[in-house]
Amino acid sequence: MNPYVLITLLFGLGLGTTITFTSSHWLLAWMGLEINTLAIIPLMTQHHHPRAVEATTKYFLTQATAAAMLLFASTTNAWLTGQWEIQQMTHPFPTTMIILALALKVGLAPMHSWLPEVLQGLSLTTGLILSTWQKLAPFALLLQIQPADPFILITLGLTSTLVGGWGGLNQTQLRKILAYSSIAHLGWMMLILQFSPTITLLTLITYLLMTTSTFLVFKLNKATNIATLAISWTKTPALTSLTPLILLSLGGLPPLTGFMPKWLILQELTKQDLSTLATLTALTALLSLFFYLRLSYAMALTLSPNNATGTTPWRLSSTQSNLPLALSTTTSILLLPLAPAAMALFTP
Amino acid sequence: MYPYSESFRSALKCRCQRSHVSLHRRLLSSIHQQQLLLPSITPLTVPRRAVIQGQYRRPGQPKEDKFPWQKIKFDFAKGVEGIKKHFTLLKTEFFDRWVGPEGKPIIDHMLEQNRVIWEFRGPESLEGWTVSSDCEIGGQSEVYLKLGKNNNTCFLYGTLSSTPPKDGETRYSGYCTMRSKQPLASFDRKKHYDWTNFNTLFLRIRGDGRPWMINIATETYFSHQKDDIYCYFLYTRGGPYWQDVKIPFSKFFLTHRGRIQDDQHPLWLDKINTIGFTLGDKADGPFQLEIDYIGVCKDYAHTEEFAYEVYKRNPEV
Repeated sequence: MNPYVLITLLFGLGLGTTITFTSSHWLLAWMGLEINTLAIIPLMTQHHHPRAVEATTKYFLTQATAAAMLLFASTTNAWLTGQWEIQQMTHPFPTTMIILALALKVGLAPMHSWLPEVLQGLSLTTGLILSTWQKLAPFALLLQIQPADPFILITLGLTSTLVGGWGGLNQTQLRKILAYSSIAHLGWMMLILQFSPTITLLTLITYLLMTTSTFLVFKLNKATNIATLAISWTKTPALTSLTPLILLSLGGLPPLTGFMPKWLILQELTKQDLSTLATLTALTALLSLFFYLRLSYAMALTLSPNNATGTTPWRLSSTQSNLPLALSTTTSILLLPLAPAAMALFTP
Repeated sequence: MYPYSESFRSALKCRCQRSHVSLHRRLLSSIHQQQLLLPSITPLTVPRRAVIQGQYRRPGQPKEDKFPWQKIKFDFAKGVEGIKKHFTLLKTEFFDRWVGPEGKPIIDHMLEQNRVIWEFRGPESLEGWTVSSDCEIGGQSEVYLKLGKNNNTCFLYGTLSSTPPKDGETRYSGYCTMRSKQPLASFDRKKHYDWTNFNTLFLRIRGDGRPWMINIATETYFSHQKDDIYCYFLYTRGGPYWQDVKIPFSKFFLTHRGRIQDDQHPLWLDKINTIGFTLGDKADGPFQLEIDYIGVCKDYAHTEEFAYEVYKRNPEV
């Protein structure tokens, strides 16, 4: 892609999210979300493959629907309450509509069906941007809303963890697995949103770090399905031994970073007298853990036979920059002892 | 007689007093009498050509002599059979998920290097294939599909005739094709082949020296993409010896309705719908193609991603 165009689009992505972060008016927040959608559309179709165009169309349609719902809900709120402040949503109907619109934007169940197909049609880099950066702006809005009905967030959250776990079970395509993992993690974030937005923000940040490292690992190995992942030991043996730790961190196993949000969420849910919900959610985490374990098994616990007849692949260096991968891998494996500091950092 | 005609004739009489109008009167009345013949009073059970064949019937299309509601065939036994088949498929799908993706354990997905997709070993293997030729548009080619010797192979044979149909608009003709049917899950939902573990198509065939074309159709989204097919050539060597053909998927090029597209894309293997073989080499006469099996394999030595370079059509100077 022309570097000027690329810079403009990446700037647009940054601008959109920043506008949404800094806005207190619903129209400005909506505008930021729209700028984000429009800026990522050309990035998704830069290779013009029919599948990429299909993914972009599906993404555009869902995001436009969500943005339209958001605009409708905010104008309804303005009509009913007379003000456009994001933090002053008091009427239940617009609040519920906005929660549903933002849930469609990020891909929470039951509005999740677009996410696996869209991620499957994209390159790994664009998929990374979609899974990480595009979740920030809607969450900035979700964190500021007080829902009138506690039931809706818990329903969205629990359905997402279930769907994310079950849907990812029989996939061999890595991008679809990461899509379902995204759905499951977003579910965890929604469960705790009304009780402690701090923990939601913490979960979001740790999820972003872990997903970034996973996508970068897959990009380095040029792996898009489990079979290609299985021969990554020939390309990057050191990274192949670290990747199961990243995947298990995504699965939420102690003593890795991914355990931190899950532990805090379960603790908070129990404190709020929702122990049944906490148990159910912990059980649904097992479903996701199964496919993370399966990926670790395929990658590092089995040595797939490789018939490379030429130069052994690990001797060929990749042009991918090492710093983002190194940073995100370290943070996604080793951050658990910093849990108290993280909590203090995110508490407003 | 019809009252309409009386009033029409009287109106005509009033208007036409002069003698030179009598010619007009005769012409108009003859046209009028013909028009009167058309609103027919034949009973509804007799099919009427004017109703069903309102449009021009292309040569090659079957003659339609039944009303649409007469073509429905209600059959209770077939319905019960259909229910049984679909629920069995649903049950298989449900229990396959316990084994692994696509009913195979994950170790198979990791270690798989070769997979035979179509193997012609019995009459039921032919049911997954459709043959067609240009007799559908009114041409004179014929194509038949049967099992080969010892029920071990599939035998596609027929005659090609490049005489174009006489419909005034077709200029070229003469093709025959065999295409696999879209795989269906329970309740006729579309299923796709996932060949991402592989990178080469492997066929064992015995042809007659003619150049065939292999067409692979993938799942598309937009309606204008429904005729997007990825093609590559299959040159057969005639003769009694079997031919092993290995075509990497990176060699397939994109065509739409038979025309090669300028904007080429590599074939994505995660949602393949059908594979087909086409013959259209403008040589009239008999042809035959015998296929033993069609499989896919993973060639680790083949590292090409796409065989065709796409140049910028409007490069900046």
